[in-house]
Amino acid sequence: MGLEYVKISPGFERYMPRDYVDLVKMGQFGKEVDVMQLGQFKELVEDHPMCAGCYMAYFIRIFYASLPNPEDTIILGTAGCARLALSQAAVPFIYGNYGDTNAVASGLKRALTIRFPDKHKDVVVIAGDGGLMDIGFGMTMHSWFRREKFTTIMVDNEVYGNTGGQESGMSPKGIQLKMAPKGKQFDKINAVELAKTAGCVYVAKLSPTNPKRISKVIRRAILAARHFGPTFIHAYTSCNIEYSIPTREVLADARNREKKDFKFYEWMTDEVREFFEEMEKKQKEEVRS
Amino acid sequence: MVEQKVVEPEYLLLEAPRERKFITGSQAFAEAIKRANVDIAIAYPITPQSETMHLVGDLWAQGYVKDYYRAEEEYGAMSAIAGAVRGGARAFSATSGPGLLRGLEAIVSWPGHRIPAVLGVMTRVVNAPLSIQPDNVEIAYLLHSGLIVLHAENQQDVFDFTLAGFPISEKVDVYLPVVVATEGFFVTHAKGYVNLPPEDMKLPPRDPYKAPVPPTDCEIPPARIQRDAPVQKSNFMSYLIHAVWQQEVWSANERARKWIKHYLGGLIEVVNPEAEVFIVASGCAAAQGREAQRYAEMEGLNVGLVKVKSIRPFPKQELREVLKKAKAIIVPEHNIVGWLCKEVKAVVPDGDRVVEGPRVYGGMTLPVELIMDEIYRVLGVKKEKKTLV
Amino acid sequence: MAEKKLITPGPAGYIPKPAAFLGVDTPPPGKALLYGEMIDEETAMREAAKAMLTRRNPTIFPGPLVLWGWNSGAIEKAQAVLELAKEIPNCRIIPMPDYRPKYPKIDPEAEINPNHPNLTILHNKIEACIFVGVHCHYANLSLRMIRAGTNCFTIALCAEMGHEDAMVSLRDVHAGDILRFRDVVVEVRRELGIEWEPKLPPENPSLPKEEWTSVSPLDFGEYAYLLMPRRGEIVEETE
Repeated sequence: MGLEYVKISPGFERYMPRDYVDLVKMGQFGKEVDVMQLGQFKELVEDHPMCAGCYMAYFIRIFYASLPNPEDTIILGTAGCARLALSQAAVPFIYGNYGDTNAVASGLKRALTIRFPDKHKDVVVIAGDGGLMDIGFGMTMHSWFRREKFTTIMVDNEVYGNTGGQESGMSPKGIQLKMAPKGKQFDKINAVELAKTAGCVYVAKLSPTNPKRISKVIRRAILAARHFGPTFIHAYTSCNIEYSIPTREVLADARNREKKDFKFYEWMTDEVREFFEEMEKKQKEEVRS
Repeated sequence: MVEQKVVEPEYLLLEAPRERKFITGSQAFAEAIKRANVDIAIAYPITPQSETMHLVGDLWAQGYVKDYYRAEEEYGAMSAIAGAVRGGARAFSATSGPGLLRGLEAIVSWPGHRIPAVLGVMTRVVNAPLSIQPDNVEIAYLLHSGLIVLHAENQQDVFDFTLAGFPISEKVDVYLPVVVATEGFFVTHAKGYVNLPPEDMKLPPRDPYKAPVPPTDCEIPPARIQRDAPVQKSNFMSYLIHAVWQQEVWSANERARKWIKHYLGGLIEVVNPEAEVFIVASGCAAAQGREAQRYAEMEGLNVGLVKVKSIRPFPKQELREVLKKAKAIIVPEHNIVGWLCKEVKAVVPDGDRVVEGPRVYGGMTLPVELIMDEIYRVLGVKKEKKTLV
Repeated sequence: MAEKKLITPGPAGYIPKPAAFLGVDTPPPGKALLYGEMIDEETAMREAAKAMLTRRNPTIFPGPLVLWGWNSGAIEKAQAVLELAKEIPNCRIIPMPDYRPKYPKIDPEAEINPNHPNLTILHNKIEACIFVGVHCHYANLSLRMIRAGTNCFTIALCAEMGHEDAMVSLRDVHAGDILRFRDVVVEVRRELGIEWEPKLPPENPSLPKEEWTSVSPLDFGEYAYLLMPRRGEIVEETE
């Protein structure tokens, strides 16, 4: 039914505001779009109040362009910066209390599985380092221990950006931030290893410099979560404000980090690997024919 | 599992033939869930509510409840309830004392999210110091949240309030979570007579589209939706938006009055409305108050009982009416702060008539003699007390 | 008619008490609310019709349950709303397509939103409006804000139990009931002696006009890729 609820009632096409008409006529619903076509279709995300140079904003735009099924996807977010853009998209968004994303997602996914056992309802959590690894740590890890079938994407800007720049568990050691006037005393948390140990079936770490790669990783994470178990993506999305990166150098910084501690890393269980190989083989055959 | 047929809530609660059983409060909760067509129940251990959730887990294993799991802690459990209900399921959970307070951040945000669910609260001492014994000070923390709070006196109430909690919470003009509170151990682990309707009947399933807010399941518009957007004051919000949202929650609380009357017969129960001295109590204290009223009647004293079933919405008009001519109002409670006494004093004129107690807490039982002492005192009856040394 | 009118057009103040706190309750099936008093549906509909016919800038605010054709009931209801709009002189339709706050600034002539309905009401100087197809929670928020800050007369055509904060609230309204209301509007219009040929309201001002003197890439729709060169492609000439 997903597609039905984004159709305008007959007769009301002349009364809907322009951006909704555009969304229905030139948007992503019901169509296969490639992230490289960004700019040629009406995006799911509208105007948002993210800072100029916010890498998270760029990542989120690519994310929405990569969704396999936007008309049957639900996004969960929490306090932080990402929710500023996520709340302006044409995909239902749930925003609860800080750090509860993975617990809410567990309940939501289970309810949707009870009510729609034959449909794929993609549940995706997009939250920051504070929400997933500090305040929400218990809920995040336990949703993975329970093997709940949804995708978690950590947009890691290594700081509590939305509250003014405090140190976070994912900040690098030694950096001086608010609430860490003498520098951070302990190391950056290794989220990817924790995710693997906790039971995620697909884990990826990347610095989002290559749109095609970002898109592929997101699609893989969502499709794997439909059948196999929890998936996790750790994306480096810098906060140019708190780390004082001039806007024109933000992309260079991302490329720089990619060479250092955000080298592209992908890990999956054998089952998931087989699934992807088969799926991608089928796609190639379709393209050929 | 017994094949259950769907019947209307009015039939199941008010008309169906009932059979008398002798069961504990925990079993009463489970019997209500068995007939409530619940989709998901989420559990976390804490004494004294664990037994209830064990039994609900058994119901899941038997097929009466569709999904069930043990969460990592109460905040996670309550957040997951919010997620499941937003997805369109009917949900139940339970907690006690420190567990309630741990999950409170999630619980008090349910009304604003418009989450219809039933939460069993089996009261227990709040730390520190630690104890697992009954003490209902935790209900005071729920009074300012917007949830509907019903206080069960005994095992029968536990069953009726829990089963009625689902249709009340899912009414379109209410759509708030319902708390069914009762004393731990005194009610949950003690057995009492409960009249139960047959187990081959269940409530109709939840219809998430008959609601004041859309469920987030991608089946109903609008697509571009943040059901409860962060509405901090900003250039693109009305300065009133958060205020009217809160007003909506409390208006829904007011609207629930008629449904509580409809399914539970009223927000209060009155014994001997012509009395000159009234005992006003809720929960277990009401059971003890009932005994005290009976003793007083046997002794020829004109004493009445007002049992308060609904703490939120609070029966302000009903109490003012009943207590108009009362000479004294005795409010026994199982907590030190006297939250019920404060509520009563705030609504009745001439608050000096209100006797602030007797109160027991920390797990102590409330002997009827304590209430009798207050009755004798206000009526000026002299009773000789013999102390044997 | 009600002796004491509890819920009347505002502006009611900085933060007025909601109707439920003043003792107003949702009407039982078969009844309606008028100024906060329970009354029969016919009288309420006539008052609502009179307001839409005599006050300035009458507007219908259809919500997502009518605007999006998600099932046949919604489509039927949408048709009924258009029929109703035809019969109200100089009526406008301003949609409420969703409930999220619009950023950075709402276009008040193009839409209304429950986070800031007063912007649309005040900008367009709307003095009578009908809410239809809006989820109850958001309708209640909007109705309270409108009553607080504007002098608009609000009418709520609710599919569920009704709204105490509207001046007129009907309940259990489906496509057939909207058409019944339309008939009442036509009758009252005749009684008041207002002449009007049924005509659809003007279209949404944010939609692009049909004129081709200036063309932008957006007009190319799915053919926009013809204008944007791919990487490495050098476009020598364009028509």
